[in-house]
Amino acid sequence: MRVGIPHCGNAYIIAEALVQKLGNGENELIVPPPTSHRTLDLGVKYSPVEACLPFKLTLGNLIEACELGADTLIHARGTGVCRLGYYVKEQEQIIRDLGYDAHFLTLDVSQHKFRSIIRLMKDLTNDAPWPKIISALRFAMGKLFALDKIEKVVHKVRAVELEKGRANQIYREAVKAIGEAKTVGEVKSASKEYIKKLNHVPKDPTADPVKVGIVGEVYVVLDPFANMDIEMELGKLGVEVERTMSLSRWVKYSLFLNYLGIDEWKEVHEAAMPYLKRDVGGDGWESVGEKVVYAREGYDGLVHLAPFTCMPEIVAQNIMPSTKEDIPVLTVLYDEQMARPGMITRLEAFVDLLMFRRKRRGT
Amino acid sequence: MLRVGIPRALSYYQYYPGWKAFFEALGAEMVVSPPTNKAIFTAGNSRAVAETCLPVKLFFGHVISLADKCDYTFIPVLRSLGKKAYYCSKFIGLPDMTRALVPECPPVLDPEIDLNKGRRSLYRIIYDLGRHFSSDESKIKKAVEQAEKAHLAYRKEMSDRKITPIQALDEMHKDEGKSYLEPDISPSLSVAVIGHQYVIYDDYINHRLISRLQAMGVRVLTPEMAEQKALDIAMTKLRGAPHWSFEADIIGAGEYYLGEKVDGIISVAVFGCGPDSMMIDMVRHRASEFRIPFLHLSLDEHTSEGGLVTRLEAFLDMIKRKRRVCA
Repeated sequence: MRVGIPHCGNAYIIAEALVQKLGNGENELIVPPPTSHRTLDLGVKYSPVEACLPFKLTLGNLIEACELGADTLIHARGTGVCRLGYYVKEQEQIIRDLGYDAHFLTLDVSQHKFRSIIRLMKDLTNDAPWPKIISALRFAMGKLFALDKIEKVVHKVRAVELEKGRANQIYREAVKAIGEAKTVGEVKSASKEYIKKLNHVPKDPTADPVKVGIVGEVYVVLDPFANMDIEMELGKLGVEVERTMSLSRWVKYSLFLNYLGIDEWKEVHEAAMPYLKRDVGGDGWESVGEKVVYAREGYDGLVHLAPFTCMPEIVAQNIMPSTKEDIPVLTVLYDEQMARPGMITRLEAFVDLLMFRRKRRGT
Repeated sequence: MLRVGIPRALSYYQYYPGWKAFFEALGAEMVVSPPTNKAIFTAGNSRAVAETCLPVKLFFGHVISLADKCDYTFIPVLRSLGKKAYYCSKFIGLPDMTRALVPECPPVLDPEIDLNKGRRSLYRIIYDLGRHFSSDESKIKKAVEQAEKAHLAYRKEMSDRKITPIQALDEMHKDEGKSYLEPDISPSLSVAVIGHQYVIYDDYINHRLISRLQAMGVRVLTPEMAEQKALDIAMTKLRGAPHWSFEADIIGAGEYYLGEKVDGIISVAVFGCGPDSMMIDMVRHRASEFRIPFLHLSLDEHTSEGGLVTRLEAFLDMIKRKRRVCA
């Protein structure tokens, strides 16, 4: 099997790490080139016009993987109310129509997550023994945790660094080093080294950055190409960003803690209750709840990201303005027509507004 | 007598007779909002976020028009009406969105219908709903039975007599005496119109599409004119188990009417509809395999009547020409 995967932020690093540890035998992992404008063009060309951006981008990734010879494609599938449940049905058809002979393996991301992950791994490794799978998982998750930990530090440093761009440079090096690490020990030492480097970046001691929470649909929140590096752009404007959602958190809870009855979103759902009583699919419920939580924690504002026409996020967007816990929300909707300068202008205006509010509250 | 308000929007077209039977059996009075008009359209548009799809905006308009005319507004949460088949997020968020956007709305009755949770949970939810009107358990049970009967009769009436929900509902509102005209079967062209009920039967947003087609000498076939079972079978054969509860009405109806060799298919969807963005493409694909003409109309707040008519005329001309050439 030649296995192709779509991109979503740093997810490919887990896949690479698993393959590196499990040995691939007859299987070969094909990581398509990083999402680019070509990927987007391919996706847009072959998708239904009104499909959402994650559909188009992942389709582009999969086509690029097929061009490199993939015959098995992995994709997420949800059994819920969002369009995600339909992705595989539709993409399978499109890829077949393009003349590629590829079949899909799915990763269930809404129910039976654990079973689905394990089954997928067994399928891909021709039934590797358990201890080997577990140690490979540990290694891959180690990388993921290290990356997310570094990212959290980067979010803080970006806002206050004196020489703009330094933190990003270190972050890029860190991703490379962790991607290349061969043992758990190497991952740990790389993680330590880069966090130290980030802490040593010269910072403005007087800075008191505006704090903004990031919420929204998981794919556009986690994929920097899809969201046009919004976290970096906010950092450039001197804003410290915080986001709860991350790949490592998702893996941690879906693999273990959910099975012990621990729900990572419990507090957030409770916060959303007075305004939205039930799961509306995707991440809509969480978006509303997180707004309430961030407002209580004294954040200055919220940036809400969603693909254009995303159903659950439209529900959230309709409800958010009426919450009693009031902080300014900027909703940014992504589609293939969107241009970065437009987004930056909106961010600048939003940050100005937050600074103004702060000043007014201070006096 | 308690008055229950029902917005003439979204699932109204599919389930109204059942709801009416239920609430009337419990001694409540039904208040239905008027057919969509400009005031409803403007009111709904002004409340919801711009990205919301048109039918949901209209829904809020209907709720606003009912606000001072009823004691309760009935907004059921349709999560799932079939095994692992779901409704759109916006249907599930309706009561909460209504409370956020229409604060003047009277208390909302929002039973959550999810058939995946089993019968017991469904009974409890319906019982809880009925308790607002009566504490007599057997009375509620009887109301449920009557609702079921009314719903099945309504569905059968449409498929037996090949009439649209609008015609069936009109007859019901007008009580006895006046019967609707039987459909004229003389027209030479038959065209299937595929889409959600709240799009193809809301004359305000689709600019009287169906009567317009009929006036152009077309025999219009809609999903309700086929038996539900036939639609389900057509869909399952093509696509396996459904992901959306209304998949049979779109993909199933498309497939069914393609098999019936209609002269053309018109699919109608509103701009920004998530499920349709995926499903319509499938119907289009199949229509090209059957070599049957296919027209997709995407409607929104700005759709002009003139543009729509031109496209319909061109489409019918194309069908007629194809017939001539092939004959």
